[in-house]
Amino acid sequence: MADRGKQLEIRGFLQLDSFLRKRYGSMPFYYEINEPISGLALSQELGIERKDIEVIFINGFVYELEHMIEPGDRIAFLPPGCPGPYRIALGFYSKNQGNESNFKIQKDEES
Amino acid sequence: MMKFIRVDMTTLSSTTTDVPEKYAGLGGRALTSNFVNDEVKASCHPLGRNNKLIIAPGLLSGTSAPNSGRISVGAKSPLTGTIKESNSGGSSSQMLAKMGIKALVIEGMPKGDKFYIIKVAMDGVTIEEAPEKILNGCGNYDAIKILNEKYGDHVGMALAGPAGEYRMPSANISFKDPDGNMRSAGRGGLGAVLGSKKVKGIVIDPTGAGNVPIADPEAFQAASKVFAKALLDHPVAGQGLAAYGTDVLVNILNEAGGLPAHNFTAGRIDHNDNISGETMNATISERGGEGKVSHGCHKGCIIRCSQWYADKQGKYITSGFEYETIWGLGADAGIKSLDAIAYIDRAMDDVGVDSIETAVAVATAMEGGLIPWGDGEAVLKIVKGIAKGEPLSRIIAGGTAIVGKVCGLYRVPVVKDQGIPAYDPRAVKGIGLTYATTTMGADHTAGYCISGNILKVGADLDPLKKDGQIEYARAMQIGTAAVDSTGMCLFVYFGIADNPAGYQALIDMINAQYGISLTSADVDELGKSVLKVELEFNRKAGFTNLDDRLPEFMEYEPIAPHNVVWDFTPEEIDEVMKF
Repeated sequence: MADRGKQLEIRGFLQLDSFLRKRYGSMPFYYEINEPISGLALSQELGIERKDIEVIFINGFVYELEHMIEPGDRIAFLPPGCPGPYRIALGFYSKNQGNESNFKIQKDEES
Repeated sequence: MMKFIRVDMTTLSSTTTDVPEKYAGLGGRALTSNFVNDEVKASCHPLGRNNKLIIAPGLLSGTSAPNSGRISVGAKSPLTGTIKESNSGGSSSQMLAKMGIKALVIEGMPKGDKFYIIKVAMDGVTIEEAPEKILNGCGNYDAIKILNEKYGDHVGMALAGPAGEYRMPSANISFKDPDGNMRSAGRGGLGAVLGSKKVKGIVIDPTGAGNVPIADPEAFQAASKVFAKALLDHPVAGQGLAAYGTDVLVNILNEAGGLPAHNFTAGRIDHNDNISGETMNATISERGGEGKVSHGCHKGCIIRCSQWYADKQGKYITSGFEYETIWGLGADAGIKSLDAIAYIDRAMDDVGVDSIETAVAVATAMEGGLIPWGDGEAVLKIVKGIAKGEPLSRIIAGGTAIVGKVCGLYRVPVVKDQGIPAYDPRAVKGIGLTYATTTMGADHTAGYCISGNILKVGADLDPLKKDGQIEYARAMQIGTAAVDSTGMCLFVYFGIADNPAGYQALIDMINAQYGISLTSADVDELGKSVLKVELEFNRKAGFTNLDDRLPEFMEYEPIAPHNVVWDFTPEEIDEVMKF
């Protein structure tokens, strides 16, 4: 991983791709933080709605939303919509056990 | 009583009987695999006269059940030498079911070089010489048009493309879809089996067919409604597949480090943005014209993961533009233009080859120096050359294992000679166990379905660790074998994985249609029974546990970015199929 100092390298998938691309001008885009921040707090700073995140990737590993992000990390926000077997095979399901921000079955009107 | 049709190509005759009692309760893969195990000599040459090809709709095909239009094709595979079930969308499954046809078997082979069309109609089966103009290199797109003119737009079709005529191990069977394009029973070379029997195509004329009988229509409708709601309520249908297609997985697998690249030497690429589902969606939307972001491959599909991908002028190039194809050409072979990949996809459909096998073979050929890395134009020319039987094209259509041998390579990503698709086993270990142990050769769709206990297993699953993966791969394969027997698209499981009511509704629909009382345990038993007959066939064909292994290079070549190797022991792998 390249040393990007305090900059995070951030991506968004599915509908977050066009949302973040419009908002920040490119994909990926870079965002500076001075100290560790939780995934949830970062998503709020970026204007991403909570219902639009099932899991986050940090440096290629799947984490729950509350996981702490360090300066220099590579981040991707993934909304609900990844096909089912891969949600299990890639560990989305396991990372969301007992997590209050867990996505189970959530439609806009129910969230 | 449903009908069981046998076409004997040796005598150019057919017989129609009641369904043998043993097969009465079976459909789809359960039927094709039981039949192949019962009637095909396991040691036969797949292209010889003793192989038999069986085509069967699923248990729910022809009903109003959403997404129930898949058709199964079974035979001994020329690619793998194993038993094979390959299934497809299109219109044929629903037509056959409504015509009361449980299965169509093609056996024997005629003398001479003539190719034939088998026409199946309500008043019987006829075998006619194939029109000259659809032979000798005519692509599937034109062949469908010509046959539409001859038999009418309303007919269903299954075709052996030029690759099938040449009996290439990667030849698919192309099924006409509701728009006159095609869907493929792609894997395992079953188009070559059709071609070996000198069958250019099967035309299905449903004129006069009625509705599929339902024992309890009210209960069926109620269950169907619950099932449809379970699919549509889930974000995978509403937000994922309908908008981005299966190509939504490019970015996800790339981020996870499990996107095999440059012939399986890396797990991540930098040009993912060129080929992602998000880019495909944006491109189709911007170009307009004939392009469609979402499209169903058969009547009654409510997930609509397919799309029509159009060129810069808005003219249709291809449909059903799948993740695995785009991965193979875009990441594994390094072709960075989605348009270039789309034209190759169209050409593969046109000549009738499996797009996964061909893409993996292409990347292997690139490593072997036969094709420059990332050269989409060269690949397009080679794929088109399959229609003319050109030498390099034939080598590629021979499949990945043959290309690896021709090029003198050790890094040949196959299991049982079938190319490994789009998920690197080193970084997504559960899928690796399925690749190793499935009866079909490396096949991601062999382990797709979430059965009852998988969520418990999944609670602890980490893609890079061994824990729980054996149980995961076993349960997924059992569940898939059962669903492959229903005629349901496997993608329904993307939606009902989280929803027990949806899973129960699937079982309730089968019960209501046939007036039976299956439980989820029975469905699991069905899946196990299918796997057992497939394993039995493979053992009779000479396969042992030693064939259930991933390519050795994966044990000593770590894959970036996670730098992991394949580390399951033979003993651990062999646990998967113990049930």
